[in-house]
Amino acid sequence: MLRITGGSVYDPANSINGEVRDLYIADGKFVDKESCDSGRVIDATGMIIFPGGVDVHTHVAGGSINFARAMTPEDHRRTQAFIRTKTRRSGLGGMAPTTFATGYLYAGMGYTTVNEAAVPVLSARHTHEELSDIPIVDKSSLVLMANNEIFLDLLEEGETERAKQVIAWYLWAAKAYGIKAVNPGGVAAWKYGDNASQLTEPVSGYKNVTPGNIVAQLAQIIDELGIPHPIHLHCNNLGAPGNVSTTLETMKHLEGRRAHFAHLQYHAYGGDDWGTMRSASVELAEYFNAHPNMTTDAGAVLFGDTVTITADGPWQHLLYKLTGRKWGNLDVENETGCGIVPYTYKPSNLVNAVQWATGLELLLLIDDPWRVFMSTDHPNGACFWRYPEILQLLMSADFRKECMACLPANIKNRITLPEIDREYTLYELATIISAGPARALGLKQKGNLGVGADADVVIYNRNVNIAEMFGHPRYVIKSGEIVIEEGDIRETPDGREYIIKPSFDPGTDDFLQPLFEDRYCMSFENYPVEMERIENPHLQDCKPQQ
Amino acid sequence: MQKSRFLPRGRKDRTMVLVDIRETKSVKAADIFLQVRPGKDFELLTILRAMIKDQPISDAEVAETGVSIEALQDLVARMKAAKFGAMFFGMGLSMTRGKHMNSAALLTLAAEMNAFTKFVAMPMRGHGNVTGADVIMRWQTGYPFGISFNRGYPRYNPGEFSTVDVLVRGDTDCVFVIGADPGATMPQPAIDHLARVPTIVLDPHVTHTSRLAKVHITTAPAGISAPGTAYRMDEIPLPLRPALKSSYPTDEEVTRRIKEAIQAKPDWMVEGPQRLETQV
Ligand SMILES: [Zn+2]
Repeated sequence: MLRITGGSVYDPANSINGEVRDLYIADGKFVDKESCDSGRVIDATGMIIFPGGVDVHTHVAGGSINFARAMTPEDHRRTQAFIRTKTRRSGLGGMAPTTFATGYLYAGMGYTTVNEAAVPVLSARHTHEELSDIPIVDKSSLVLMANNEIFLDLLEEGETERAKQVIAWYLWAAKAYGIKAVNPGGVAAWKYGDNASQLTEPVSGYKNVTPGNIVAQLAQIIDELGIPHPIHLHCNNLGAPGNVSTTLETMKHLEGRRAHFAHLQYHAYGGDDWGTMRSASVELAEYFNAHPNMTTDAGAVLFGDTVTITADGPWQHLLYKLTGRKWGNLDVENETGCGIVPYTYKPSNLVNAVQWATGLELLLLIDDPWRVFMSTDHPNGACFWRYPEILQLLMSADFRKECMACLPANIKNRITLPEIDREYTLYELATIISAGPARALGLKQKGNLGVGADADVVIYNRNVNIAEMFGHPRYVIKSGEIVIEEGDIRETPDGREYIIKPSFDPGTDDFLQPLFEDRYCMSFENYPVEMERIENPHLQDCKPQQ
Repeated sequence: MQKSRFLPRGRKDRTMVLVDIRETKSVKAADIFLQVRPGKDFELLTILRAMIKDQPISDAEVAETGVSIEALQDLVARMKAAKFGAMFFGMGLSMTRGKHMNSAALLTLAAEMNAFTKFVAMPMRGHGNVTGADVIMRWQTGYPFGISFNRGYPRYNPGEFSTVDVLVRGDTDCVFVIGADPGATMPQPAIDHLARVPTIVLDPHVTHTSRLAKVHITTAPAGISAPGTAYRMDEIPLPLRPALKSSYPTDEEVTRRIKEAIQAKPDWMVEGPQRLETQV
């Protein structure tokens, strides 16, 4: 048991805004005062208390990040090394941290839940093996569906009911938590060197399937199956100047349905080419603010070195041609793909400067903190352990001005950031890093300091240096256990894995097996991940809509 | 061979080109065989890189490779006309004259071919679960092989920390071998060292290494009587389902028990918590 007394509590899920409250913890959950009559007491007088952070979109485990690790040995060498002890495994931080280090670094900045946002079903077994090697934090994963050949074929034939059964089957086969759509149709076309850039044009190899109807059908299926997290969408035309029109059109395709737009920064550009590229955050935020069916994460960019990894194979090929740096490409049979390119965002580079401003603008112009969440699309925009730098930019307009002084002079008229005075409050920050993403993921027990919720909590020393305050919490408590204390890693418990089991027609196996044997190169029985392969599985509710 | 929507006739819709220094058994399976002169892989690859971009090459340079200009022109035309090209390479490329430079030339050729059509390249891995070891080492340490933990955290330097180099230098006072038979393949100084120090082998069979080891623990063969995961060459994980029962323990169980016994001993590392430093 554990009591935390005297701290200023920021718990947006329960509308508690900085009031002094005592928290009581027993058996890993928050309990009422009567149920906690012994154990350690943390005197948090003068300190700030947040629910543990929840990352709605990150890439920490599986084939693509592991390929990125292989491609960047030069980075491993200059980063913090975690030295082995009897209770802690060794590892390396940096652009693509190793699994054990990933857990230590996330917990080290107060995050206790992470959502791995891109898992091919074909290699889901690998992703789960890596996730079980990420200590401390709880995990969930999203499976890639928008370029799956069997699914696209069913859409082509108008077999939407069957498509729904197949999606549910795949989700359970992967032991995943939700559905991710990356560049719908575009990754499938990339197998033949093509892309899909128009929402209403047929995808290569199909007559009826367009990116627009892939998105709309998937969103419908996800709602009908009652999957807790809505469609998690990486739109077409990521990164391209002028792509805001595609993004807005996609949003219109999804009107009236739940949808989460991933890393919106990469989809918020105006202009016609690299020379005229500008931020289109104003028009995008205006539309977004008026449509409460949507949530998003920022996909913010920070200047510095990183490695970009995405299922968006054609975009990565373009990035390789633009930068001339190393390029890795993986095609995952008839399901999806992946590309990897190391990248350096420079303030002197006009495109990078626009990207930096656009991410912050979206976070500041979207007025409901329950709908826009902290992310850098780790490691794409910046590494996750740099989140505290972004929190500082959000909380201080003066600091933003200071940073803007380093941008190229010709950036005027391309960005709106200089005109924005908004400064985030601590209550709003607690919403975008914890309560909001937990709600969007449908994880009611997370991002919540109320009785019955998981006792994941962060205690900060007050500090005028915001980046330092959020980068170095005084205590981090996971499931009631103190894991970080005064910057030291104390305990490294295993986290849970959240999965769902949507209901599907038991005849789906018989339907899929012949198709599968025709198209895949492994046997059908070997394909689904067995339940016993998941370490600490935790089944969340998934009830179909009536 | 797999049929697909775009290749409905399976093998008949595919073209296989084999490049080797001699006629091997694979020639029968190939549509086209190009015989390259030993040690001229880098030159051949560089000429191909020039040819796909229509850059000038001299007859003398082509003659050196042992392959005719007509054959190369035909190859380039086929590569550019392919819908999806894949290049597989093995130790004949990466371990002969030029070594990693040859691999780099091939990977660059594959990347550059994407200016014309879809092309990929993939290394052919050795027998057993080499890829699996490589994949797991990468997620746990950041590096695929050639890793030293002697400072308490992973460091990487092939040529210094690779198994063969460590053994040849005689830098270890104990060797633990699992799922490998270095006694059959390594240079003599490495084998001599294996015999000199306490070498412990986990293997279902008697091997060259087990014969010179101080301890051989017989284990259940993976995939036959021990479960697990094997990673295919393209890093797709496959479950191993044992068909038989074995009275021998699995590699995993033996390793775990050895690890527990070591953990019971005093630790040589400095104890204590570690601070999370500012990352750079
Ligand atoms: Zn992403």
